[in-house]
Amino acid sequence: MTHIVSVQQVFKNYTLGTFVVPALRGVSLDVEEGEFLAIAGPSGSGKTTLLNLIGCVDTPTKGLVRIAGNATETMSERQLTRLRLHTIGFIFQSFNLVPVLSVFQNIELPLLLQRSATTKERRARVEALLDRVGIREYASHRPSELSGGQRQRVAIARALVTRPKLVLADEPTANLDSVTGTNILDLMKELNRTEKTTFIFSTHDARVWSYASSVVRLADGQIVDRVTAEEAVRAGGVPGQPSPRAT
Amino acid sequence: MTNLILDFRIALRSLFQHRRRTFFLVAAIAGVTGLLVLLNALSTGVSETMIRAATTLSSGHVNVGGFFKVTSSQSGPVVTEFAKVAKVVEANVPELEHWVHRGRGWAKIIADSGSTQAGVTGIDIKNEPDFKRVISVVSGRIDDLAERNTIMLFESQVERLKVKVGDAVTLSAQTNRGAANTVDCRVVAIAKDMGLMSKFGTFVPIETTRGLYQLRPDTTGVIQLYLKPQFVSESAAVAGRLRIALERAGYALMDSDASPFWMKFQTVNREDWTGQKLDVTTWEDEVSFLTWTLKVISVLKVVLLTILIAIVITGIMNTMWIAIRERTREIGTLRAIGMQRGGVLRMFLFESFQMGLLGTLAGALAGTAIALAVNAARIQVPLSVQLFLMSDRLHLSIHVSALTQAVVMITGITTLAALYPSYRAARLPPVSAMSHFG
Ligand SMILES: Nc1ncnc2c1ncn2[C@@H]1O[C@H](COP(=O)(O)OP(=O)(O)OP(=O)(O)O)[C@@H](O)[C@H]1O
Ligand SMILES: [Mg+2]
Repeated sequence: MTHIVSVQQVFKNYTLGTFVVPALRGVSLDVEEGEFLAIAGPSGSGKTTLLNLIGCVDTPTKGLVRIAGNATETMSERQLTRLRLHTIGFIFQSFNLVPVLSVFQNIELPLLLQRSATTKERRARVEALLDRVGIREYASHRPSELSGGQRQRVAIARALVTRPKLVLADEPTANLDSVTGTNILDLMKELNRTEKTTFIFSTHDARVWSYASSVVRLADGQIVDRVTAEEAVRAGGVPGQPSPRAT
Repeated sequence: MTNLILDFRIALRSLFQHRRRTFFLVAAIAGVTGLLVLLNALSTGVSETMIRAATTLSSGHVNVGGFFKVTSSQSGPVVTEFAKVAKVVEANVPELEHWVHRGRGWAKIIADSGSTQAGVTGIDIKNEPDFKRVISVVSGRIDDLAERNTIMLFESQVERLKVKVGDAVTLSAQTNRGAANTVDCRVVAIAKDMGLMSKFGTFVPIETTRGLYQLRPDTTGVIQLYLKPQFVSESAAVAGRLRIALERAGYALMDSDASPFWMKFQTVNREDWTGQKLDVTTWEDEVSFLTWTLKVISVLKVVLLTILIAIVITGIMNTMWIAIRERTREIGTLRAIGMQRGGVLRMFLFESFQMGLLGTLAGALAGTAIALAVNAARIQVPLSVQLFLMSDRLHLSIHVSALTQAVVMITGITTLAALYPSYRAARLPPVSAMSHFG
């Protein structure tokens, strides 16, 4: 079985002036296609950093990141951008929609960047996704006219419009109330099942662990363990309770 | 293609999103463009007015004049056997529309109650329809200049001489051989002033100049060439070619000197030669003592525009920096989801380009409207300005080519001003999508 994501002995240091902040310290992780993987850990544990490296928006200080068989360390900026465009979908914590474009146009955007689909094909695809995430009637609205949950639905549709192999979501529910957050995770889970898309999402909220096929727990830039959702809930997080400190 | 439309759309909408900021910048660009259009219209208008006046009063588009020296220190502004010279001209200037010839001189004009120094131009009024069209006669008849020993004066000379149509004045001058001579002339026409040149210019029949300077009938002062309209701007090239042709035909030529003929006496008198030398000049040479106004306008234009364009560039760059800071996360997001650096660069350049185009078009339109209004208002300029304009009205001349040039230039500058900020925006790392600011 090939791994959609393969991270090997990855280190990432940030430098703040003369300070070196080690954000990741030797992380290795393989993700199989079709997984719905949660990366859990307290604030500052390195979740975002890890997702950025997997998403090829940042490069590791040391170590290898292999995405869908591509050795990213050998790739140019241009090639990495193409890899992101064709293989990876992004869902951001603060939605990150283009404010001046309508909901429809936001979802259509990656297809336009890909340049492969005709106007008709794009239209059909976007409309199908609008239905799928349940915001059809907002197609011509601007993001600013939508609620947080609705915006995240737009973002999910945008991430999925190109049928990427991998969707990355950094704390997709952090800016949403718990009911809306649950709905969003339900939607992601359903898309994971029906579209066979691999999802990796980060969270510091133990309540959402139960959605995951497995949970990778991070602390201080290192992987503590990788367990199934049930094990994780049993070991540390009680649904409905704040997340435990994982050290 | 779809990508261009995408970039264009995002750019346009972003501008609209920040319409207040956009409005101020567009207005500033429009202001600068409008000013450029107006300054261009002014300098073109002045230049056109000057050409028109100069080429009727004292010059053709190209002139073949010259000096004849009896002794090495006695010179007269004379072209001998001018019919032969005219043949060479006709054979070598296909751009020629027609030519006229005029007598040249400088005399004291004496009336009963005053006198003045003035240039005396001998003219064959029957062959000068353009001259009649440009001169506006306030009293008398310009056609009477066909009669023997008559004179046309300008209003300001009449004031000094205190004469009216029908009165006699005496022209007094030295012949080319150094003898004093006088001719009595009857005032037949008084013309409206046409700027500086009319202060010192009078017109008499060409036989009168010949009589005054005791010249043979086959002499003249200058052959004035009028070119077909499309070749007027090539006067200098035509002059250069004619110069060579005349030399080939065996004429001695004076060195090219961009000044009017009456400023050349001193040099000619100092030189050690006798006989005939020809001098080929353009209208610009003959009015070079006036074209400094054009230079002042163009220097003013350059200085003013440099300052204003610097302001616009600063404004554009600042706005771009602000926009990029505000939209760091948006840029990061676009990069993260797969927009190449080129796309980001294009997007921001488009923004600036759109502002530039909108502003320059508005400015060009406004400038044109103002220029048309000024022309329609027929604004009378002060006397001191009239001297240089050679016209009593302000005339602004708008040409489509000048408008296009202004629009293209300033749009180009505003787009280029955004180049560096846009380049920096394009190099923002895709991780900036994760920044939690803004
Ligand atoms: N751009 C940066 N410059 C310097 N240090 C950084 C930078 N980004 C992250 N860090 C540091 O790296 C470590 C890991 O940060 P990261 O954002 O990956 O954690 P996280 O698990 O996503 O935290 P949170 O739950 O707060 O989002 C932290 O100590 C953080 O301060
Ligand atoms: Mg984070």
